[in-house]
Amino acid sequence: MFKKMKELYMYRQFLKTSVKKEFRGKYKKSFLGVLWSFINPLLQLLVYALVFPFILKIQEDNYVMFLFSALIPWNFFATTVSQSTSVVVGNGGILKKVYFPREILPISIVISGAINFLVSCIIIFIALIISGIGITANVLWLPVILLIQSIITLAICFVLSALTVYIRDLEYFINVLLQLWMYLTPVLYTMELIPPQFAKFFYLNPMVQIVNAYRNIFYYQTMPDLKALAIWTVLGIIGVFIGYVIFKKLEKRFAEEL
Amino acid sequence: MKKKSNIVIDVKNVSKHFNVYYDKANTLKERAIFWKRNNHEVRQVLKDINVQIKAGETVALIGINGSGKSTLLKLMTKIIYPNEGEIEVKGKLTSMLELGAGFHPDFSGMENIYFNASIFGLSKKEIDSRLEDIIEFSELRDYIDNPVRTYSSGMYMRLAFSIAINVDADILLIDEILSVGDKHFQDKCFNKMQELKKEGKTIVLVTHDLGAAKRLCDRTIWLSNGVVRMDGKSDKVLDEYVKECS
Repeated sequence: MFKKMKELYMYRQFLKTSVKKEFRGKYKKSFLGVLWSFINPLLQLLVYALVFPFILKIQEDNYVMFLFSALIPWNFFATTVSQSTSVVVGNGGILKKVYFPREILPISIVISGAINFLVSCIIIFIALIISGIGITANVLWLPVILLIQSIITLAICFVLSALTVYIRDLEYFINVLLQLWMYLTPVLYTMELIPPQFAKFFYLNPMVQIVNAYRNIFYYQTMPDLKALAIWTVLGIIGVFIGYVIFKKLEKRFAEEL
Repeated sequence: MKKKSNIVIDVKNVSKHFNVYYDKANTLKERAIFWKRNNHEVRQVLKDINVQIKAGETVALIGINGSGKSTLLKLMTKIIYPNEGEIEVKGKLTSMLELGAGFHPDFSGMENIYFNASIFGLSKKEIDSRLEDIIEFSELRDYIDNPVRTYSSGMYMRLAFSIAINVDADILLIDEILSVGDKHFQDKCFNKMQELKKEGKTIVLVTHDLGAAKRLCDRTIWLSNGVVRMDGKSDKVLDEYVKECS
């Protein structure tokens, strides 16, 4: 195990380069470039805030902020998972010719996603101040929640990035799945809206507690549910191990399948 | 008694086959509908290979095209994995298997040095300290800022070789790409490999240049039809090989 960690540390420069390549590639050809990191969430927010309060009749003081504080973290999860399906397939060229620890690919996706999310957090803070809700010390929990969310996301990315090599459809299928997943997570609504007999199944969704935690520190301005976070930390770490093992198993035939 | 501790590349009972698909199905739809499509032919490329290479050895790997030389190098590099057996490698290994492998065509030569060296595992500081040596050896100073897709194959090779010898690898695996360089650079590479040999590095070289093999390599392994046909002193093996080929 430690040999692997040592190897990954040795490859940190390559990890850095991969993350940079993600950023360079993402906005290189677009006109607005890096600004999309900011504008994208803003536009989404606008659309949802205009449409949903009328359709769902949700009683919230400030639906816009309610939505925003959950939507941005959700986007980190969704876009990272979506990108991870194509990261190994997309790097097929160099994978077939050079050796490097392949797991760096999904790891670089999660890291660049997290950095992108942190940039969007600036927007959240500005919005909180403007809307009058303000910021409390509870936001200091942000790095902790982010870390837990990243661990869970990484576990999923390990599995998906490797599986997509063998079943290319996953790349398209996962987008539909993520749409559904978002509706099964209290991003657009509160947990109270769910009939009690289903509520307990909702908690099986890792993103439920994560999104609640973010909403707690941003919108409700309370501490996150520490017990839930602790449970998901443990589950996340176990998940990463399992995901990693699956990745390593599937990795063996990468060069031949691509 | 073999001195086990000295072995840097240990190939144990390795077999490798490839499935040559006539028309590969890699989506769900294709697998469901055209289930007959996965018609393939199994090509056994390597059969039960046993090779132990000790530290500091310079080994030539010869054989006709298709005998499994490149596959063996790829297995040692861990780009592909054996179907049976295992390969243990001790120490840092770098390989030059394909022209332009690990090069990003739109990046400049300079950027590719960083990219390539970081794929190998070097940190930015380490690359910085070696940058001069690499550019110097490649003789590509005037072109180093141009994107590598404008490079000729000889230039690719020069850059690849300069990087490969400057990353402090203990083991160098080189496939047949050296022949792409002009005589001047080939001699330069040859001399450099002699130097590395004196420093105790392990070199495995796939070559069709039997003269070079004889001069540089003490040991030659002859692969034929996926098995080790002969493995021993270069003079002996190469003479047999020439006899067979004529």
